[in-house]
Amino acid sequence: MSKVRYPAKYSALGLIKHGLMKGDWPQVWRHHELKPSYDVVIVGAGVHGLATAYYLAKNHGITNVAILDKGYVGGGGSGRNTSIVRSNYLTPEGVRFYDRSVKLYEGLSADLNFNIMFSQMGHLTLAHNDSSLRTMRWRAEVNKLEGIDSDVIGPDEIKKLVPYMDTSENTRYPIVGALYHPPGGTVRHDAVNWGYARGADIRGCEIHQQTEVQSIETADGRVVAVDTNRGRIATRTVVNCTAGWASLINVMVGLKMPLVTHPLQAAVTEPVKKFLNAVVVSGSLHVYVSQTDRGELVFGASTDPYASYSMRGSLEFTEELAGHVLELMPGIAKMRLLRQWAGLCDMTPDFSPIMGITPVEGFLVDIGWGTYGFKAGPVSGESMAQLIATGTTPENIKAFDLARFPEGRLVGEKGAAAVGH
Amino acid sequence: MSSAAATGRRLDPQAGEVIDRGSPLSFRWDGKAHTGFEGDTIVSALMASGVDVFSRSFKYKRPRGVLSATFHDPGCTVQVGDEPNVRAAHRRLAAGMDVSPENVWPSLKFDVRAANQLVGRFLSAGFYYKTFMKPQRLWPAYQKILGRFAAGGVTAADAEHGYYDKRYIHVDVCVAGGGPAGMAAAVAAARSGASVLLVDEEYHLGGHLRYGGEAELAALAELRAEVAAQKSIEVMTNAAVTGRYDMNWIAVVQRQPGISVRGRSIHERLCKVRAGALVVAAGLIERPYVFEGNDLPGVMLSTAVRRLVNLHAARPGDKAVVFTANADGDACAQDLRRIGVGVTVVDARTGGNIVSAKGGKRLKSVDLADGRSVDCDLLVTAVGWTAATPLLNMAGDRPVYDPTPARFFPTDRLPATVVVAGALAGDGSTAELIAHGTAVGATAAARAGHGSEVPVPALARVAHPELYRSTTHGFVDYSEDVSSKDMFAAKKEGYDSIELVKRYTTVTMGPSQGKLESVNAVAIMAEAHGVTDLNEIGTTVWRPPYVPITLGALGGRGFENTRFSPMQSWHEQHNAKPLVAGDWIRPEHYGDAAAEVAKVRDKVGIIDVTPLGKLDLRGPDVPKLLNLLYVNKWSKLAIGAVRYGVMCAEDGVVMDDGVTGRLAEDRYIMTTTSSGAATVWEWAESWLQTEHPDWQVHVTPVTTGYASMNVAGPKSRELIGRVVEGVDLSNDAFPYMHVRTATVAGVADCFMWRIGFTGELSYEIHVPAAYGLHVWEALFDAGSDLGVGAFGVEAQRIMRLEKGHFIVGQDTDGLTLGFGADLGWCIKLDKDDFAGKPELVLQSQRENYQRLVGLQPVDPTIVPAEASQIVEGAKKIVGRVTSSRMSPTLRRSICLGFVEPHLATPGTVVTCQLPDGRRVQLKVIEGLAHFDPAGARMKV
Ligand SMILES: Cc1cc2nc3c(=O)[nH]c(=O)nc-3n(C[C@H](O)[C@H](O)[C@H](O)COP(=O)(O)OP(=O)(O)OC[C@H]3O[C@@H](n4cnc5c(N)ncnc54)[C@H](O)[C@@H]3O)c2cc1C
Repeated sequence: MSKVRYPAKYSALGLIKHGLMKGDWPQVWRHHELKPSYDVVIVGAGVHGLATAYYLAKNHGITNVAILDKGYVGGGGSGRNTSIVRSNYLTPEGVRFYDRSVKLYEGLSADLNFNIMFSQMGHLTLAHNDSSLRTMRWRAEVNKLEGIDSDVIGPDEIKKLVPYMDTSENTRYPIVGALYHPPGGTVRHDAVNWGYARGADIRGCEIHQQTEVQSIETADGRVVAVDTNRGRIATRTVVNCTAGWASLINVMVGLKMPLVTHPLQAAVTEPVKKFLNAVVVSGSLHVYVSQTDRGELVFGASTDPYASYSMRGSLEFTEELAGHVLELMPGIAKMRLLRQWAGLCDMTPDFSPIMGITPVEGFLVDIGWGTYGFKAGPVSGESMAQLIATGTTPENIKAFDLARFPEGRLVGEKGAAAVGH
Repeated sequence: MSSAAATGRRLDPQAGEVIDRGSPLSFRWDGKAHTGFEGDTIVSALMASGVDVFSRSFKYKRPRGVLSATFHDPGCTVQVGDEPNVRAAHRRLAAGMDVSPENVWPSLKFDVRAANQLVGRFLSAGFYYKTFMKPQRLWPAYQKILGRFAAGGVTAADAEHGYYDKRYIHVDVCVAGGGPAGMAAAVAAARSGASVLLVDEEYHLGGHLRYGGEAELAALAELRAEVAAQKSIEVMTNAAVTGRYDMNWIAVVQRQPGISVRGRSIHERLCKVRAGALVVAAGLIERPYVFEGNDLPGVMLSTAVRRLVNLHAARPGDKAVVFTANADGDACAQDLRRIGVGVTVVDARTGGNIVSAKGGKRLKSVDLADGRSVDCDLLVTAVGWTAATPLLNMAGDRPVYDPTPARFFPTDRLPATVVVAGALAGDGSTAELIAHGTAVGATAAARAGHGSEVPVPALARVAHPELYRSTTHGFVDYSEDVSSKDMFAAKKEGYDSIELVKRYTTVTMGPSQGKLESVNAVAIMAEAHGVTDLNEIGTTVWRPPYVPITLGALGGRGFENTRFSPMQSWHEQHNAKPLVAGDWIRPEHYGDAAAEVAKVRDKVGIIDVTPLGKLDLRGPDVPKLLNLLYVNKWSKLAIGAVRYGVMCAEDGVVMDDGVTGRLAEDRYIMTTTSSGAATVWEWAESWLQTEHPDWQVHVTPVTTGYASMNVAGPKSRELIGRVVEGVDLSNDAFPYMHVRTATVAGVADCFMWRIGFTGELSYEIHVPAAYGLHVWEALFDAGSDLGVGAFGVEAQRIMRLEKGHFIVGQDTDGLTLGFGADLGWCIKLDKDDFAGKPELVLQSQRENYQRLVGLQPVDPTIVPAEASQIVEGAKKIVGRVTSSRMSPTLRRSICLGFVEPHLATPGTVVTCQLPDGRRVQLKVIEGLAHFDPAGARMKV
């Protein structure tokens, strides 16, 4: 474990000092020339790449690390997601893994000296019929066995938590219950990305924006270098952390994995006074919603039904979304939708990630993050760093290996991740 | 209040005014009574009665007044009744409106949170990222305080939802923007024979001509007459084109369209337009200037002043400084002089500049670059324009900055069916803009198939000073309280690209989405980087919607499918408890499910199974299709025979099950699960259309074409015999798993088959839907002496569980491959190929999958809740209960469930943890059936 001193620690006192002296804050992360070689090259400066670098440096003292991104820090899914953090998954492997991330998130503001604004407002997954209620019960039972705070509650309790919700019986899709997960909530995604970037930078890792990986050189079945628009880098370890673009990096070393990239859309309304104090998900209505501290409602849904690398929003998405949100909360019809956007999701068949080593030596993956990977940033970074540093796959990511596909060991999380990310 | 207020600020009638002085309207603002005129906006009425401040800013709670006097005016957002965030500089006044300021505390006049201004320098952009980290447990408390500052109005849980509707429009040409160029384009397109939709955000066509001088008003009158003369132009005002999607799929939101449906007026309507061509004539938006005090009430854009004066006859101030760099600023100065306002002109073209504005709740003075300080209550800026390019951006263009005219211009990356008219394309006199619009309109019509293209005259790019920021710092984003200083600081801190600075400072993220601020933000970033070419900084991508749309308008009327069987009236009369099952609403039970079970087991019962998916398959290649979709074999199905089949997806996961019967040589009927009806149809079609277009098969979904009912129980044959004509019902002539076409209760073209989901002798009858109720009632009439009764879904679920029939999706899940569901008996791996075969071959070589088994609690009175986990040791999960019920027939609890392979041997006792934490023992039984495992009862 390495301890560092930030040149300017963030604090209330610091704000006052900088305010008084009108001094500038140091750069969150610095710009560098590209070196001819690094011990580790991480492709993708999203939360996964940045967290991996951070823990490599912090937990293992490995700092000769380059994080390359073709755009800017957090410009991929990590800056486009709806930032829901929770651990009420369906499989024991999933529950344990995501729970570690929740724990890391709980301490992350202090650890990174960067307020990531984790608000554990509680997370509700609604059931509108007996079959979804059964799935909620299933998740609750698995969660409880793993020691997670999660249970099935009825319409009256739901109404208490979310007074705007129409829990009456005469709606088209009556609400019959919900899975309630009090520790679930949201973070501020940019803050997480920037906090990890700053922490990695200060420990000596280099962040290279506008640096696109164009090919990867291998020799005798192992990685030897990557080629970028800014030049060649010799390295024996490359980590693919490119989420929606992961397949394009995989083919650079001749690998094909069961990944299909789908767009996922989201939207936000104008702000109104806070009235919603939980994340609400409805699988049957394909929608989820939470309210930010700024007062905006943030909406999401399931992925677009076709494979694509396009990040454009569609009209139909907003229509369906609004219709379904109003089924749940009819009182907000006069709120206005302000902005919509889309990101790319690398979907796997079982809604679980692909992590670890591959048949190409030195080429590691941390991909398959689909619609649910932001919450996994901290634990993935921690585990990938351990794998890189020790050469041994940590216990908590063994289940997510690439070999599970041919070996029929899928880790099915569709029932817990298809709509509520 | 300024002195003007005391005397009233309503001017004498103006040439182009849109208010109706004969129709006064009274309304309330901030609890006090006011009056305005029909045609006023909320803000113009308030300005005319002396109000300067309409809101408090987001972070510093600074008083804010009029800036642009348009929909996008950041300081003019108010609450009207239960509607939050109403754009008061746009929304028309209506009688009795209850208007109040938003988020002020305790009042608009005095907001204690304005104390934030004093500590402003400590609250630099993104300050919240730098504090409140420790202790973590206090964050929720900090968060509450931050939440107090959130902008925006209020909603209510029980606010009226209102009525919303949508409209589809198909036109040849859609024109976005009804200024001179847009109007001319519409007229020209119509003259070429095209149908035209002309959309403008304002209440009247005319754009900037409306608040111009005599010449502009004359040109406008002429254009309006020409538009009115064209029958094929539909004019839509107070409406905005909010999005342009592929193939000119265009969203238009119409605000308060004045349409009522059954006495309820529509608040907003979404029009979905498919246009042959789109003319973007959205014009220019006047850009604010960045300097100290640029947000003080009394600092306004030249176009805002001209709107207030010329359209609404509201005097914006008494003594003005006009900082102008262009003809519009000059015209504004003239307008002000005309109404008697003293004007000091500061001309940017001759080197003049303003440095800062001073004042409190209203502007008091302006410091000029030449050292003078001028007392005034109005400061007008006319420093240039932002091209309204969002629609072009949505059409795939990336506009490019030209420093000479100091604004962005479209490139040639636009599709041919999106054309730009008017000021977006360049500068010109009114006549030149009209000529440009005319040529573009004809061109658009031609590209939509009417008339022929004409050459479009080029518009000049007139030089304009590049004016973004003075020598002082001021607000760039008014609604977010982001200053140029914040942006400089953010850049220094490393948030140095436009995307990062936007995210870090939230500049351009507020309700106007950058329409006023975007280009200033880019210019400030350029300055911070020390570059002069704005193109090096780029712009952020404009995303739809162009203006915010209410959720009500987007959602529209609910068109959620709701399906009932033809027998619904009967069910309602018999007190059926409704069960929502996807699209369908069907009877769960009629009061007592256990009694319904007993009836079926002892006598005869009837269930409405209309929701079962039904596909009519015809053609010689149907067996090929069945062999592909199902895991079992279908080549030898005889006419009159029925077979059970299971489908797996390509990953081998169980996807659906049902029966298919062969009615004639080339005709088959397939049934699917109720919830799988649509999926299976799409599945079949996608195989046929993508992989086997050569096969001669025709698939028709007939789910709702037939009413379906299952008559089950030992006396079902007797009952059926009383209503069916022309079929020998004896077991030899019509055995189990066979199908017959028949006339039932006088209704021809019915078919029925003997199958056994309930485990009893049973006939599933499919009747042309229109006769469903008739046949249903006939069965009950005929069987009253047999003790016939209706049964619902719950009784059926109990009976199928007694029989050990699994339900796809309940007793299987997204990972259950065929062999896991105990389907080894019907998966034929020796078939050539079928969907899912490769995965099932792999599974057949493995042992590591959970098995579906029948389970009986050792204590027969305990019914473990479905989804209870089967465990080993403290917390190792080794399976789960998928279905459970108390069996009225066996008088004990029964289950189906998954267990790890080592626990699947009959006789094994497993441990189940109930939701309340108790643990109970369950015994694995032989096979899945708890009752009549040999199936004797259904084959009689
Ligand atoms: C709308 C939406 C909502 C979501 N909601 C949630 C949620 O609520 N909760 C949750 O947990 N998850 C959510 N997700 C999923 C989550 O955003 C992602 O799984 C996660 O951000 C992935 O992070 P990452 O670091 O792996 O990849 P990313 O953040 O996508 O980063 C990948 C980076 O790789 C870079 N890159 C790509 N190709 C190259 C190349 N050739 N060379 C160099 N760099 C390259 C890209 O520029 C990008 O910056 C959501 C996703 C979307 C789109």
